Amino acid sequence: MRYYIKKIVSLIMVLFLVILLTFLAFQVIPGDGALAKLGVDATEEAIEALRESLGLNKSIPARFVDYFKGILHGDFGISYQYDQPVAELVAARMPATLGLALISILLIVVVSLPLGLLCSKKENGTVDNIITLLTQTLMAVPAFFLGILITLIFGLTLRWFMPGRYVAPAEDFGAFLRYMIFPATAIAVPKIAMLVKFLKTSVIRELKLDYVRTARSKGNTDRAVLWKHVLKNALIPVITFMGMVIADVLAGSIVIEQVFNLPGLGRLLVVAIGNRDYPVVQAIVIYIASVVLIINFIVDLLYQKVDPRIRLQ
Amino acid sequence: MEAAKKLLELNKVSVGFPHRGGMRPVTENVSFSLHDGEILGIVGESGSGKSVSMLAVMGLLSGNGKVMDGSIRFYNKEQPEEYTELNKLLKGELRQICGNEISMIFQEPMTSLNPVMTIGAQVEEMLTLHSTLPREKHKEEVLSMLSEVGLSEVEKLYDKYPHQLSGGMRQRVMIAMAMILRPKLLIADEPTTALDVTIQAKILKLLKKLQTEYGTSIVLISHDLGVIRSICSRTVVMCEGRIVEQGKVEDIFERPQEEYTKRLLAAALGKGEIIEKREIDYQLAPVVKAENYSVFYAEKPKNAQQLGSTLAERLKSIFAGKIRREVVRGVSFEVYPGEIVGIVGESGCGKSTLIKGLAGLNPLTEGMLTMEAKHPQMVFQDPYGSLNPSKTIGWLLTEPLRLHSIGTKEEQRQQVLEMLKKVGLSEEYYDRYPSTLSGGQRQRIAIAMAIMLKQKLILLDEPVSALDVTVQEQILILLLSLRKEYDLSYIFISHDMNVIHRICDRVMVMYHGEIVESGKTEEIFERPQHEYTRKLLKARL
Repeated sequence: MRYYIKKIVSLIMVLFLVILLTFLAFQVIPGDGALAKLGVDATEEAIEALRESLGLNKSIPARFVDYFKGILHGDFGISYQYDQPVAELVAARMPATLGLALISILLIVVVSLPLGLLCSKKENGTVDNIITLLTQTLMAVPAFFLGILITLIFGLTLRWFMPGRYVAPAEDFGAFLRYMIFPATAIAVPKIAMLVKFLKTSVIRELKLDYVRTARSKGNTDRAVLWKHVLKNALIPVITFMGMVIADVLAGSIVIEQVFNLPGLGRLLVVAIGNRDYPVVQAIVIYIASVVLIINFIVDLLYQKVDPRIRLQ
Repeated sequence: MEAAKKLLELNKVSVGFPHRGGMRPVTENVSFSLHDGEILGIVGESGSGKSVSMLAVMGLLSGNGKVMDGSIRFYNKEQPEEYTELNKLLKGELRQICGNEISMIFQEPMTSLNPVMTIGAQVEEMLTLHSTLPREKHKEEVLSMLSEVGLSEVEKLYDKYPHQLSGGMRQRVMIAMAMILRPKLLIADEPTTALDVTIQAKILKLLKKLQTEYGTSIVLISHDLGVIRSICSRTVVMCEGRIVEQGKVEDIFERPQEEYTKRLLAAALGKGEIIEKREIDYQLAPVVKAENYSVFYAEKPKNAQQLGSTLAERLKSIFAGKIRREVVRGVSFEVYPGEIVGIVGESGCGKSTLIKGLAGLNPLTEGMLTMEAKHPQMVFQDPYGSLNPSKTIGWLLTEPLRLHSIGTKEEQRQQVLEMLKKVGLSEEYYDRYPSTLSGGQRQRIAIAMAIMLKQKLILLDEPVSALDVTVQEQILILLLSLRKEYDLSYIFISHDMNVIHRICDRVMVMYHGEIVESGKTEEIFERPQHEYTRKLLKARL
């Protein structure tokens, strides 16, 4: 119980710090929102009036209090560029980004775990050698390049999907999935390669330990030794790594969204940066930081579940 | 038990491991047999092939090891007149026998249990694998077996994890697991080596009891001749992959035939003859003087009481983190020039903590401490883990000189080469890596490293416990000659009363963080005062 309280309290504190730091960082950048919105050609008076109405003339602490209060109500300010609440803009882009992330994560987990185990079963066997060669190669391929290749092969040549024709999940969920599987693969493949390698190393390390010999001496089959005894132990370090991968994927794949023309957060971010749309950029930065923090939090909890040795400390 | 049935027979068994494309044998022509209901000891130093031979019986050889030649015959349950050739069985057939008819316990109870599975689940797995007992009876059976091996509060224990248990308890769990199916044969590979002496004796007693009750035959592998003598009826002596001698325990121990056995016996059971006596001048100023000296550990509070009663206090303690626990409680002692003071006591009594305090490795201390040596040096138990594997011996040995900027590069090199010679190693070791050295050689390096700075006080934490008896002997002699050469004083921690007797001038007995008894070695051994000291001496086999 203590452990959970401690973890939750520190999570909240760090989230607060993230919001504060993001806010401060944007105060340092020269040129404020009023200028960004009206452009350099606007009159001094017009800019000043807008500053007043946006509350930009208040002191920094006062503005932070306003901003923080807003966040607590789900209000991240108004986009300079679209004149819409930032929260709405972000919410509208969420399905594409989250959908992409979830499908990628599913792919990563479903493919990498069995492959990793398969490799470790017979180190330096044919299967292992082939998979190792593949993972070595695929790890080195950047996701966007893979995206281009996939578009070329499956989109333009095989015509399994129409490049650039994203379908919203609300419109036709099946079509959404059929489209998303391709960008998701582009994201997943390099990560799968890394995870397979990591899991394999972990399992092989575990297989050398004493308790495995004990399990064998009891008359367990090789398969039972692997699944009942080794897997849980081997997953302990993998969980951390997996957490990093998942946080990375959830935080958005800006480039892949560009390549596949997905209306996701990544695209929103790129456009917002170009237009100095600070409220939007700020909100997305907070989103990304929070995702990483929350995933880490979940990883810590999972760790505890899997490894009883951590519970006592 | 004359003409008792043979249970297991090894006939000219050679086990080999792959090496540079071929197979390299590690045991050759190992032949012995085990009778029904007997306890057979296999004794030998590390690398003698004693464990490998028995692992081969169960098909547990690691890294593609194989039985290259010979046969391993085991009694056949279905046809009592016939034997099963274990080394010819298919994997699946052998698995039927493993755990069920032959089971095994290992040296390291700390690592031999699965850390993420509960005790109950691990013991129960045996039943799931082999027993026809209905599932709902499993737990009951596990609980009764756990109490049978002398564990208490078995209901609670059932849901605990291995790390929550002491070493002795874990070994009992291993035994419960191995014995729950009443196997015909139990192989115990150094079952007591990692345990405290007082617990060792209890575990051996338990094995003996199970053997009498269930008629289980036991093969007991040990490097410790005392252990072998205490419960075995016959013994096999192995050296470098061959059997040197075998026979009844009395014969082997009283009238050893072979030179190797004699040497082994002399080193191990010399009843701790004093190697060399030396008069200590107690009028001189002591090199260490501790008065009311305490050492603490910072640890997180464990129970609610320590956390405080009010919510605010608890919240505070959650974030405040650590409290101090007194591990060594106000001890007072002196060590005089040239003296070797032994510290004995069971694990957790604070003996290592005490010398870590002296060495400055633990800053949480209280009380008076006057020491002549500014940087007393330490030698640790595990010569494998305590030398950095990525550095050469020369680099390791010059490090203390480099850290204290003593001499030029060339002078440092000369000093190290001289020191190598002093600890009995040739100059060529300068450029070698620790991994190419044996345990004894590594311990020599560790000792050399401790002496490099020419500090008068050396702290030795179980320096010979991980070594084979014949190597132990050499290291003890080395320590004595270095004491003379460099005028050193040692504080010498050991759990082995024989070793203490052999080289220490005085002994301090620690129990629960206090020195409960101290005095001249002979006095302590002849007239132990404290209850715990008597127990220690009695546990000496």
